[in-house]
Amino acid sequence: MTATDATNREREGTVDRDDVVLEVDDLSVTFESDDGPLRAVREVSYVLRAGEALGIVGESGSGKSVTSMAIMGLLPRNARVSGSARLLGQQIVGLTDAQISKVRGEKIAMIFQDPLTSLNPVYTVGYQIAEAVLAHRNVSKAKAMERALALLELVGIPHPEQRLRQYPHELSGGMRQRVVIAIAMANEPDVIIADEPTTALDVTVQAQVLEALNAARRETGAALVLITHDLGVVAGNVDRVAVMYGGRIVESGPVEEVFYRPRMPYALGLLGSLPRLDADRSERLTPITGTPPSLNAMPAGCSFAPRCPMARQLCHEEEPLLLGVDEHGERVSTAVAHPATHSAACHFSADLGESSPADLFSPGEEVSGESDTVESVGGGGAGEEAAPDLAGDEPILTVTDLVKNFPIRSKGLLRRKIGEVQAVSGISLELRERETLALVGESGCGKSTTARLLLQLIQRTSGEVHYQGQPLHALTPRQMRPLRRDLQLVFQDPFASLDPRMTVADIIAEPLRIHREGNGSARRRVGELLELVGLDPEHGSRYPHEFSGGQRQRIGVARALSLNPRVLVLDEPVSALDVSIQAGVINLLEDLQEELGLSYLFVSHDLSVVRHIADRVAVMYLGRIVETGTTDQLFGAPAHPYTQALISAIPLPDPVKERTRERIIVTGDVPSPADPPSGCRFRTRCPKFANELSDEERIRCVEEPPELEERGSGHRDACHYSEVVELI
Amino acid sequence: MLVYTVRRVLGAIPVLLLASVLTFVLIDLSGDPLADLRVMQPPPDPEVIQLQSERLYLDRSMPERYWLWMTGVGGNGDIGLLQGKFGPSTQSATYDIGANIAERLGVTLRLVGAAMVFALGLAILTGVVSAMRQYSKLDYTLTFVGFLALAMPTFWFAGIVQQAGVSFNELVGTQFFATVGDGTYQAQGLSPWGRFTNALAYMTLPTIVLMLTSFASWSRYQRTSMLEVLNSDYVRLARAKGLPNRVVVRRHALRTALIPLTTVVAVGMAAIIDGTVLTERVFQWRGLGEFFIQAVTANDSFALMAWLMLSGTTVILANLIADLLYGVLDPRIRYE
Repeated sequence: MTATDATNREREGTVDRDDVVLEVDDLSVTFESDDGPLRAVREVSYVLRAGEALGIVGESGSGKSVTSMAIMGLLPRNARVSGSARLLGQQIVGLTDAQISKVRGEKIAMIFQDPLTSLNPVYTVGYQIAEAVLAHRNVSKAKAMERALALLELVGIPHPEQRLRQYPHELSGGMRQRVVIAIAMANEPDVIIADEPTTALDVTVQAQVLEALNAARRETGAALVLITHDLGVVAGNVDRVAVMYGGRIVESGPVEEVFYRPRMPYALGLLGSLPRLDADRSERLTPITGTPPSLNAMPAGCSFAPRCPMARQLCHEEEPLLLGVDEHGERVSTAVAHPATHSAACHFSADLGESSPADLFSPGEEVSGESDTVESVGGGGAGEEAAPDLAGDEPILTVTDLVKNFPIRSKGLLRRKIGEVQAVSGISLELRERETLALVGESGCGKSTTARLLLQLIQRTSGEVHYQGQPLHALTPRQMRPLRRDLQLVFQDPFASLDPRMTVADIIAEPLRIHREGNGSARRRVGELLELVGLDPEHGSRYPHEFSGGQRQRIGVARALSLNPRVLVLDEPVSALDVSIQAGVINLLEDLQEELGLSYLFVSHDLSVVRHIADRVAVMYLGRIVETGTTDQLFGAPAHPYTQALISAIPLPDPVKERTRERIIVTGDVPSPADPPSGCRFRTRCPKFANELSDEERIRCVEEPPELEERGSGHRDACHYSEVVELI
Repeated sequence: MLVYTVRRVLGAIPVLLLASVLTFVLIDLSGDPLADLRVMQPPPDPEVIQLQSERLYLDRSMPERYWLWMTGVGGNGDIGLLQGKFGPSTQSATYDIGANIAERLGVTLRLVGAAMVFALGLAILTGVVSAMRQYSKLDYTLTFVGFLALAMPTFWFAGIVQQAGVSFNELVGTQFFATVGDGTYQAQGLSPWGRFTNALAYMTLPTIVLMLTSFASWSRYQRTSMLEVLNSDYVRLARAKGLPNRVVVRRHALRTALIPLTTVVAVGMAAIIDGTVLTERVFQWRGLGEFFIQAVTANDSFALMAWLMLSGTTVILANLIADLLYGVLDPRIRYE
């Protein structure tokens, strides 16, 4: 069914409004601040039907969370909410605290982003679930506990009786989020609002939690509002989607419509800036230029106009309404109530047709100005005449049997060593010249520790690291220092890794100063570097807080490049960035590698990004490499069950593919690295071990740690029974 | 929990031992207890000095004296902390340090206890109110009062309060506040109600003085800790569950916001003990503070050591209790 059909049916008056559970109409939120009123949410309207799932997508600051908090009445005192939200016909905007607390948890429940902080640390899990029941049901405490037990079972927590009596800190992040889901379900609400429910979790755990959420919905029949920045999660889990930008809904419609035929340039841009598992790797990402508008400086017309390649005069003057397009290409008013309505807030949505992101956001035009004017700055020297896109065969950095154990000490006076966290357990890597090697794994797998070991930032327990034949592990800090200029690091958090009290020029020049270089020429060098990373050289005198996240990450890259390094270790360099910004940084990294002949060790948990940027990949699990190969081998023919599970857990931003593809689900959580399983470390969660192997075959997994070797797939894996599966 | 408690108690022993060594060495090096005797005019008989020196064990070496002071083994039966004897006094041969402390302990404890209870109660109340009405006029007022109290030097404030009490008495024409003495003597032979009003009259002003500084700093801590909790995700989730506001504040916010205060209060014990010295001086209470001043004036090193050991032990004990309380209040501590 198309949107036009829908409009027709609407005109014919066949739309049934009886099953509407939540109707948000013209909702606006304004925060009073010292800089004047900040309009965080403007005129948001949507309709949610019984049992339906609506996705709200947007980048940070788009107002997607504030909208939901306004509906729940959870905003701080300085927020002014106007408009209406009707829950089962009852107006819930403007209720007193006493009135709305009767609705909250009973008819509408909410799940928050960070499961580690969502539960009160001083009460047991059972108490906190039972509390939700007791808040609305007049039952005995024992009955409430029984209900809590049933709920824990429902969200798939093993040994629920035991878990009831435990405190939140005794549960993993994924478990805790399931407890929060159980709390949300406690009174069988009609609407559940899930605000980034899986953002803080690892992908394999994300898959489990989404499954728990879906189980909760099946059980209670609740309608779902799923707020997320992850287009993949939206594609697989909702019926309709609303895209928010600058505090407004700029596009809304059935999920297939919005993903396959976006009518708003922003939605198209978002899809284009996303590295995807199912796309051609060689294709360049098409980032959206500029940054999202700040609330105290909203553009006059369409808030996306300053970043929009289609923007014309009208766009800068008049804010477009959220309208549909009829069969004649005219923008017409459509019923927000109808599930099939596809509408967009763009004056020229009819002109967008079937354009691809690349057509619209052609890469040459980035505001960041990543032009090709790098010759003067280069200076990397190495291999200038080599073919730029071919990685060399020479290993520049080799790691052999690297081991790092962190001691666990007793709490007593003597601080005896009572155990070891085996963070890295004998890994070998080879980083070749002009190549990107990605180290991939979930949190706690030892990938960041490995990166730090390579740079000699922490002491290894055993093993060797060679850089161009020199044994880094055997050097004294003084001997290491001149080599540090060749080996530089870019951090994950662009907010924490820049000293807020130094100007950007000082930050970038600091390595030069430390290495007593560029006296006098430092200022010029800083200008060159800023230009190189796509920033205005004039901005060197500013402080980090004046820059956006993406720009700060560029500053971090500039600092790392100041000494003309040959190897960059990038520790989750884009994970903290919004999608539209992330694409620009990824493109920058690719350009820099080509132009300066850099070698990258790219540490990441995001397989989509890795697939896009890496030449070779090593997958880590609990301190060991479980599979390694070229990017095409690894993603095209993954052989280790863990790699397969990781790949299949990544949500694809494509509604049809995402719902139909084969899934390999991993159960449970990563075991503690202080007490890893014997034999193959993955066996406790391995779907193959659990479902396919015979008892005799399993003995080998328990007793014998699998070596990393070629087993017929063309690349190396560490599984006794590895078997290639095609997943993409 | 038992293992945890035992471990904590055992952990306090070396700290106490270290405190005793430091106390002993510092006092021992800080002056000659017989200095006054030696410069007396006319000069006393050298034999008198000799006798005094032997009575105070000054003829022994320092390590020997420490051993004596701790165990009493080889002494004259008037020394040995482990036997509950504090040693001879310079003030007179009959002055019993232990008996004096015991007598004054009750007086001081009364003051310290009342000051702690009121400081803590008021601090929690104002801290919570301030946090819940952040940036309101009330919050600003309480903040102002808090900083004013923090900035007030105790000896000066004590004088002012005493003077105010006297003026108030003159104004109403009765002896409403007692501004001199601790009232122990006056309480003798009174009915329970009479004892109570008597205590009230004597205690009100010194308690206000002693609690002021602690109240001010604790109330700031409580405000910060409460604010942090009120903005936490779990308080938001508690609201989202549909719990009424007062339940959220009491059960989820206050309960967790109190945890950090236990440490602050334990650390603040030292400040309160400090405060007693000045407060008791101004109001002329015969408490431990007065005992301390007397010991300093008389160069009475064993009395000083006794006082220091007592206050040191109190502070260590307070921290021990805070540690154990922490374990009870915060389940994350218990199992580690």
